[in-house]
This record gives sequence, structure tokens and C-alpha cells, in this order.
Amino acid sequence: MEKGHNTTFKRYGMVIDLDKCTGCGACMVACMQENNVPFKKDETDKIRSITWIRVYKLNNGKPYPDTEICYLPRPCQHCSGMGDHGHSPCVSVCPATATDYGMDTGIVSQIYTRCFGCRYCMVACPYHVRHFNWWDPVWPEGMENYLSPNVSVRMRGVVEKCSFCYHRYQLARERAFVQGRKDIEEHEYQTACTQACPAKAITFGDLINPAHAVYELKNSPNAFQLLERLQTYPKVYYLSDRLWVRMAGDNYLEEEKREMAQAKIKR
Amino acid sequence: MSASEEKTKEVSEETAGKGADKSKEPSNAGIIFIFFVLGLGVSIMVGWILFPKVLYSQKEQPFDFNHENHMLMVDNGCQSCHFFREDGTFSGAPKLEQCIDCHYDIHGGSEDEIIFHEQYVANNLEVPWLIYYKQPNCVFFSHAAHVINAEMDCRTCHGDIGESTSLPVYEYNRLSSYSRNIWGQNIAGLKRNTWDRMKMSDCSDCHQRNNVNQNSVQTLKGPCFVCHK
Amino acid sequence: MKLSRRCFLSFSLGTTVGITLSPLPWKITDDLSIWTQNWPWTPVPRDGAYSLENSACTLCPGGCGISVRKVDHRAVKIDGMKDHPVNDGGICILGASGLQYLYGPFRLPSPLKRVGERGEGRWKNISWKQALTEVSEKLSEIRSNGEPEKVAVISGKKEGTIACLLERFLTVYGSPNFMTPSTVEDSYEAALHLMQGSRASVGFDFENADFVLSFGSGILEGWGSPVKIFQAIGKLKKDGSVIQVEPRLSNTAAKSDRWVPINPGTEAAMIMGVAHVIIREKLYDENFINTSTSGFQKYQSLVMEDYSPEKVSVITGIASSQIVAIAREFAKASKPIAICGRGEGRIAGNVHETMAVLALNALKGNFNREGGLWSVPKPDYIKWAEAKPDQTALEGLEKGRIDGAGSKEYPFMTSLLDRFPKMINEENSYGIQALLVSNANPLYTMPDTEAVKKAFEKIPYIVSFSSFMDETAQFSDILLPNPIYLERYEDVPTAAMYKKPVLNLTKPVVKPLHNTINTGDIIIKIAKSFGGSIADAFKWRDYETCLKETLGAQWEILKKQVVTEDKNFVANSPALETNAGKFQFVADDVNKSQNSKAGIPHFEDLGINGAAGNFVLIPYDSMPLSTGYVASAPFMLKVVSDKALYHQDTVVQINPETALILGLKEGSYANLETSVGSARVKVTLYDGIMPNVIAMPSGLGHTAYDDYMGNGKGVNINQVLGVVEDPVTGLNAAWGIRAKFSKA
Repeated sequence: MEKGHNTTFKRYGMVIDLDKCTGCGACMVACMQENNVPFKKDETDKIRSITWIRVYKLNNGKPYPDTEICYLPRPCQHCSGMGDHGHSPCVSVCPATATDYGMDTGIVSQIYTRCFGCRYCMVACPYHVRHFNWWDPVWPEGMENYLSPNVSVRMRGVVEKCSFCYHRYQLARERAFVQGRKDIEEHEYQTACTQACPAKAITFGDLINPAHAVYELKNSPNAFQLLERLQTYPKVYYLSDRLWVRMAGDNYLEEEKREMAQAKIKR
Repeated sequence: MSASEEKTKEVSEETAGKGADKSKEPSNAGIIFIFFVLGLGVSIMVGWILFPKVLYSQKEQPFDFNHENHMLMVDNGCQSCHFFREDGTFSGAPKLEQCIDCHYDIHGGSEDEIIFHEQYVANNLEVPWLIYYKQPNCVFFSHAAHVINAEMDCRTCHGDIGESTSLPVYEYNRLSSYSRNIWGQNIAGLKRNTWDRMKMSDCSDCHQRNNVNQNSVQTLKGPCFVCHK
Repeated sequence: MKLSRRCFLSFSLGTTVGITLSPLPWKITDDLSIWTQNWPWTPVPRDGAYSLENSACTLCPGGCGISVRKVDHRAVKIDGMKDHPVNDGGICILGASGLQYLYGPFRLPSPLKRVGERGEGRWKNISWKQALTEVSEKLSEIRSNGEPEKVAVISGKKEGTIACLLERFLTVYGSPNFMTPSTVEDSYEAALHLMQGSRASVGFDFENADFVLSFGSGILEGWGSPVKIFQAIGKLKKDGSVIQVEPRLSNTAAKSDRWVPINPGTEAAMIMGVAHVIIREKLYDENFINTSTSGFQKYQSLVMEDYSPEKVSVITGIASSQIVAIAREFAKASKPIAICGRGEGRIAGNVHETMAVLALNALKGNFNREGGLWSVPKPDYIKWAEAKPDQTALEGLEKGRIDGAGSKEYPFMTSLLDRFPKMINEENSYGIQALLVSNANPLYTMPDTEAVKKAFEKIPYIVSFSSFMDETAQFSDILLPNPIYLERYEDVPTAAMYKKPVLNLTKPVVKPLHNTINTGDIIIKIAKSFGGSIADAFKWRDYETCLKETLGAQWEILKKQVVTEDKNFVANSPALETNAGKFQFVADDVNKSQNSKAGIPHFEDLGINGAAGNFVLIPYDSMPLSTGYVASAPFMLKVVSDKALYHQDTVVQINPETALILGLKEGSYANLETSVGSARVKVTLYDGIMPNVIAMPSGLGHTAYDDYMGNGKGVNINQVLGVVEDPVTGLNAAWGIRAKFSKA
């Protein structure tokens, strides 16, 4: 594939340290504010609640007092698909060319004006990152004043999801261009959740650039991904030094869990 | 079945009996053809002439503006007024504050100058310019990427507005509310100049020609996020 | 020529062909599809020039710096301010929601006067002139009746110019009744006073500690300055360890290296038990004990006598071996910190427990040094000329405070707001004629909502300075809205529980959206309207001038950089201020008439109200639910788990074992009843809670604001919680309440 004007290809991704995450939800709010995510009067039906990044609460399944819990923030995983061909589950099924994979950044896009709401992508996505707008967004009087012009406001009948704050990438590039640079630095493009996280649990950057922090972090022995065995090749990595948390990343059989535990002990 | 048989019979009898009237037949067909042509003509007239008039409405700019005149007085071409901000974003149509940098009082006595001062400067109101090449809300267009990074000329997209002495009529689509400069001046979709039309296909064609970032998995052209937000 | 059917058909065919050959159908299809992409009711945010403006957040006492992103004049995002000494770029969920408070429809648009019954919600717009005249007249009427002490102020802030202006006004007016909501900081302050003699706030240097032993403190649930603590705990988890002693597996417990479940309310016994092991095994800092403390013998003998691990194990339910292990770990650490104060610290707590924790820290001598406990002096930048009350005022001031703070009973306390409703309801006090409420929402935040409401009903005139239509504003007679923090100047001294004194300046980043006046300006205006000694105490032209003069040279610096921090600050040696010049294990000036152990750190079961029921109800705090003056923003409510709020119901956590006994399942309804009130709640089964304990989320159940802000969502926990007075400080020590709990 031709590279065009771009000098280097990037694979933007995230490493989230679950041992640091406190489940406070600041990432969710920062994201909602940054990306014009709407809200309703009642948001307690979580299946209908639109959140681009959602913090899940995991537990080790043991009774009191051996219970342990862990929080897991889940943005869009921006799957690369097998062989990094960009055939992520959602991109492969979209009949409207509304969701796309850019080989330049590795980010899975969602174009609202293109989407006609068939929701195939929602079925295809194994991570439940996609949300359907069942209603037109309504802001209480006056609150539409805080909406950001960088992200389109969605309408009823379309699917939306996390974009890794792509507009921040665009704006960072513009700044680089006027300063006579072709490329941007690691700190110039950080997602809203990364920036907000009070526990500094999220690290964002180019997974294939050795100068970026995520490059090393993702190779940690404590790193894992969600549903690794589906071979979706997500670009979000998680870190935890607890084995049960790492095993919660996929649906392992009891036998496999025992094997993994033993392997861990040997190591 | 019997009825149709009867009819056939009748017709054949008629034909046989009225051999002398044969010359009338082509003229009958001719009338029918004339009606066809008439219908064709009317609808083509409606479709090509009336329809565009109905579909596009015109709006007046708040007052007229002479680009040529201003170009003579500034040092830095278009970017003197349509400049890049420090953060790389593009300022677009100048704000009142910029205008009154020079126009702190009435320069010359043109009617437009007076409107500008009486209605806007005096009331500290921004001039509600109609933007010819305003892309819709779903589009992210980076002037920096085109003008600075790709070193493109302003006229590639904006034509010779910089040399105009008065503002063209602003036309907008009644259905989509987009400016006519976006959909294309020519109702047939013909494009003579690069700046005649700014639809998605125009952006994408140019990107394809110049091999900009042609690595979308879906389209094998530019990825959607390059221009969409 | 005859027009036949064929002619017509032919004409139609012609038009059809013609239309297809014209742009009409293709263009209409295209335009219609574009039309469906731009519904007129979908807002299109206007673009413009971007800018970033730094300011300080005042939504909680955390003292964080914020960066507000603006598009032209609109604010579109709040991020944490980079390099701010408190939050260094991070932001909490409340701070990130700030713009919803700015642009929300629940803001008060202008001064309002009640026209209907109290709390009915019928208001009339009035001018500022009328509003200020009415308030001034009311206040001068009370004063001319010779009853100035009958005016009280509830201020959400203890420090800073607004609080000082309010207090100053009361002083020259003639009332001692300046009250502030109490928190665990008050208990620490009292304990520091008793044991160190200092008048200081407590600060914890978590960043440099290597071991944190927390007795129920929700350090990750909104305690102190959340962002600072989150960052510090993240670091500590890598290089040190955290142990959380708590009846429930909270977020703090989940993030700790170890969660040690404990019988609710017995934390002080555990603290003493740990001290016992450390003393028994001589693991304490002998040098510090010998040179810098006094009263160790007395403390030691009490600890050795009553708190052996075996005895403590019986009280707390923690195995004695575990107590010994924890004590050894604590002693082994070079910079260990022990803390107490449950949840985010809304409830002040038992002062003997706080003293016990200070004593435990003293055993390791970890005071005023890196990774330890710090005494942070009160801000001293406000140096106004002393106010001179006139004769009427002096007479009023002599009447003493209605809440009993500073009286013989509670000599070293400055405010006891939790006693206020009781004093009014019992009617053995002098009563209150007018109440001014600033930055506070007592009708929502104070325990035993019913009693607070009853007390407020007895106050004939209530003025609220709130920016929002909150519960207290709803129950007021006149509303004088303050601009919100993004629209005004205000000094924000000290970050809660931060080890160094910092001073922030919040400044207007957007033009005021509504017809509001800064509370500071209102006080100055009202004071001036009185003339005489009252006006003399308020010489400033307006609030901004006052602030500018007060801050002096700092004003320009703060305007530019938002924050100043005393980087070289070193706390005084702890012991210097006490009479003996030492850290006192035993406090002298505590009334021992009722309890021989009073003044010595110890565990006491103060009892929690009511004998009702076999269950113990404990509140739990969480980041997305604001429990203070401002309600949770819509974004925050969106983050609240459906295991805490489901549609209109509060969901309480119980152990599956308890559920089994009661015949309750996940999602069942249950009736909860305490001596204070009752509620219908939903149940969720949670393995992370002790059997027979019910954990209920705090921060729900607003009855004001609007539907987006949680009006009518869930139960306000204060409806079922009561007040238990600490005999030494008079602060509220209720950590929970007994409850009846059954299937509904």
C-alpha cells in the first residue's frame, strides 16, 4: 500500500494499568465532555447508556472475605484484525462504509452521516464498545453551549463509539504543520481519558514506535488483552499483577486456568 | 376470447375497406411523437432550468466587499486577513476586531463602508458573512494540511475571489442548506475549474491523484477519518 | 386533431424520459439524503478561536488547578492544570463535570423572592436593589430589637476571604454564630490541638510514605484532595504497601495490598491493638518517645492492659495473628502513615479514635517529615484591621454561640453545626431569627434530614447565596445567587489534607451568564447600608478591591499562575506548641468527669442511635456521587453503577448469606428502618461486605435541582442516619446506625 504524504505509519494504542485504576469514572466524564456524548434523565439502564469508555467492575468470584474486585476501563479496542489488515470485526461487516480502518493510524473510525443504523457492527463487536442512538440527543436548556465543535453531534438512528479522540490527532497535526513539522510528538496527541485519569493509569501512544512509552509497557509479562483468542488483535493492552484479573480477559476453561496458574508459579 | 376475435375481424375488415385512407396513418403516429417530444421538452426545461432556480435560493451578503482593493493594500496576500492561528487552526472570515484595525473610522464614502460602520462597528456586532466554501458540520477540513503542508495555492479551491471587486451572489440549497459552491456551480455536474465543486468525491479524487494517504481498508482510498469528524 | 389516450401516454413517456435526462431526480435524491444528515434540531456547535485559561476549582475543598478550554467565549472542556502542585494535570470526575454546573438550567437566574409557601417552589424575580434592601432591613430590624445574636451564618467554607467577610460581618453586627459543616478534618484539628497544642490542619505526605495503614478512610473515595491522593496511592502501590481495615470491600480496599474486614465501629480498638503489639515488641521509635513526647507511661499502661491482640480480636473480629502481623509490618516500614476517618470524611468521628491514630503515628515518630503526618498552619494572608464591634454587637457576642462551640463544654471548638438543629428544636437556646447560607446545602448534607427541616421551619427568615436551586435554596425566603466559580474571583486557600500550604485563585474564565452578584460584594454592600461601626469594618469599594488588597503582591502572581505554594515550607517540630513542649500521649485539658479514660487514646463504643433492629447500616461514599454542597452532575450520575441506583431506587449492598436468611434475591425490594427514618430500597448481593451489615450509597435522593441532577433519584442517606455527639468535641461521631431490614 502506498504511503502518500505520510512519512511513517502509526499504530495508536493504549496500555491501561488496572492496578492503578481506582474505578473513579473521571475518564468516562472527560470523554463525554470531550466528545459531545449526550445524557438522558435516567441512565441506569446501562445497555441503553451511551459511553465511549466504560469502566467495568470485575470480581474474582470468591465469597466473603476472600472477594477481590478490579476495575477495567474499556474504550474501543481499535482491532487491527489478523495480520494487521485492518479487518476488524466491525469494519468487515459494515454495509455502508460508515466504519473504516485507516492504515496510517490504525484507528477505527465511525462516520455518523454515513451510518444508516443497521447495527451489524454492534453485533459483530465482541467488546460492546458500540452504542446505538435510539433517541435524538437532547440537552437541557443552555447546556448545548458547552458542545465542542471538534466532534459532530450525533443524530437518532446512528451508531457511535470511541475514536481515540481522533480530532486531537488532527489538531495536533495542524499545529505541527504551522510550526513546519510533518510529524507530531508523543505528548501532542493524548486522548481525553488519558489526560484526565487522576491515577495516571492510562498510557497512550504509538505501539510500534520504540520512543513511545506504550511500546515497552505492552511487552510487560503482566500485559494482556481482551478476548485474545478471538484474534481481533486489539490495540488496547491491560496490565495487572493479579493472575485472576489477567484470566478475566478471556473465557478460559477451568482446566486452562489451572494450567495458567501453574505456569505462573513456575515462572 | 370471442370478443377479441370479433375485434380482430373488425379491424382487418376496416383495413381492407379503407385502403384509400392509408396516408393518414403516419400523421397519427406523428402526433403521438410530437407529444413525446413535447413531454420531453417540458420536463427537460423543468429539470434543467426551472428546477435549479427553485432548488437554490439566494441570500444577500450583509454588504459588498472588494477583495481586489484589499489585496493591493496588504503585504501578505490572502493570509493577511485569513490567517493561521498559533495553534494551527485557520481563522476564516475576519472578525470585527481585525477589520477595525484599519477601519477604525470611515474610509472613503462607499455605501458598504457606511453600512459596515453604522450597523456593525457602532454596535460592536460581528458581520454575519455568508461563507461560500463552508463545509458541512460532519467535515474536518484542515487549511494547514493543504496550504502549509501540501503548499497548495488558495485559488485551487477558492478560485479568483481574491481578484474580485465585488462579492458573488450566495446561493444555497433549500433542501440540504449547503452552499452552491459545495455542490457545484454547474447543474449538470460538469467541472471546469478545480474550485467549481467541493463535494466528497472532489476531495477524494484530488487525494487520489496526489496519492495522499490512500490506505483505507474499506475504500482503498483515503481513510474516512482524514476528512470526517 | 384528436387528443387520444395514446397522445397522453406518449406525453407522459416523454416527460419521464426527459426527467431522467435532467438532473432533477438525481439531485433531489442526493439533497434529500443530505437533508436527513442535518436535522434542524441537532445542535451544531459553533467553531471559533481556541484558547486555554487556567483557574482553580472550588467544587470541593481539594484545591486543584484547572485548564478551561474555550471556543471564542464558550467554555467547552475542563482539564486538570499541568504542573499544578496539587493535581498535576489530573482531574476528578466532579471537576471534569464543571461545565454542566455552569450551563445547567438549575442555576438561579436572578435574585428571587418566595411568594408561595416555604418549599412550594413559587418565586418572584426581584431586582438586586430590592433584594439587598429587604435583607438589610430585616437584619437591621433584628439588631434594633437588641437581638443580633439571633442571626446565624452557615458557610461551606471555613477559610478564605468570603468566609472571613461573613464572619467579620457577624462580629460587627453582634452575632457569634458563624457555623461551618464539620468533617473529619475538624476531628484531626481537635486531636492535634489536644496532643500537640497546635492550631493546625492535618496534612498527609502519602507521596513519600512507604506504608499506609488506613482504618476505614476512603482514600480513593473522595478523601482529601482526590487527584493528589490517587496519584500518590498509585505510586505507593508500586514501591510500598497499603492496608485497608474496613467492614466493606470499598474501592480503597480493592486497591490496597490487603483488605482486612472489621466489625463496623471498632476501628479504634484495632488501632490500640496495633499499638499494643508495637509497644510489647518494642518496635517503636524510642528516641522520639523519650525526647519528644510526654505521657507515654500512662498511654502504655492503658494499651497494655486493655488491648492485647486477643482482646482486640474479640471486639473487632480480626484474628489476633493478623493484628500482630499488621503491627509488625507497620513498625518495620520506615515511613508509615496510619489514618482514620471513615469514607470521604464527611462525618467528623470520635476524637479518641483520631487521638489513637495520632498516637500510633507518634510511636513511629513520623511527624512533620517526609512521608509522615504534617501540621499545616492555618492560612495567614488575611490581615485585616481588627473589626470594632459597637455596644449592641458586644452584647450580642456575649450571649455565646447557639451550637455550644467555645463554651465550657466544648472549649476548644470553633463550630459545631451538627448540634445546631438539636439546639433549635429543643428550644432551650435563644433561637434564631435569620439564617444566611453560603456555599452550603445543610438541608441535604446534614444527618437526620427531618430534624434539620424541623429546625429550619422554626427560623423565620432564611437567605441563601447559592448559585443553584438546591434543597436549602428551595426552602429559603430570599435567594441572592452567587456567580459560579468559572465566573468569579475568589481565593482558595489550602488543599484538603495536603501537606503544604497552597493558595489558589479562582478567576472568571467566562462572562457571568446570569444576573448574579458575588457574595463578597453583597456582604460589603449590606454592611455599608448599616453605616456606623459595621460599615467602618468594610472600607473596601467592592469585593475585588478587598481581594486585591488582601492578597497584596500575590494578586498579580496568582492572576498569572493561579497558585502559589510555599515550596520550602517546613512544619514546626510537633511538640513545641504544647505546654510541656512535647507530643502529649495524654491530653490534659479534657473533662474527665464522665469518663476516667477521657484524654487518653482509647476505644469507646459511643453507641449508635436506636436499638432498632439487628443490622448495622453504614454509608459508603463513591467518586461519582457528590455528597456535598453541589449535587452530582448528569455526567456523574451516568457513571453511577446500576448496583447503587436503579431507575428511582437506591440499591443497598448486603452479603449473600444475609440475603439468604432474609429471603432476598438480587434486585428484591426491602424495607429499611432506623430510629431516624425509613426507606424502601433495592438489594444487591455483594460478597465484599460483612454479613449483617448493610451498605448504602451516599449522595443520592436529591429533592431539588432538576430531573437531570438526580431529583427524586434514590434515597438521601441522611434521612435514615442520625447524630451521635462526641462527648469531648461535640462533633458528630455516628459512623452508622442500627437498622431493621426485611423483605418488602
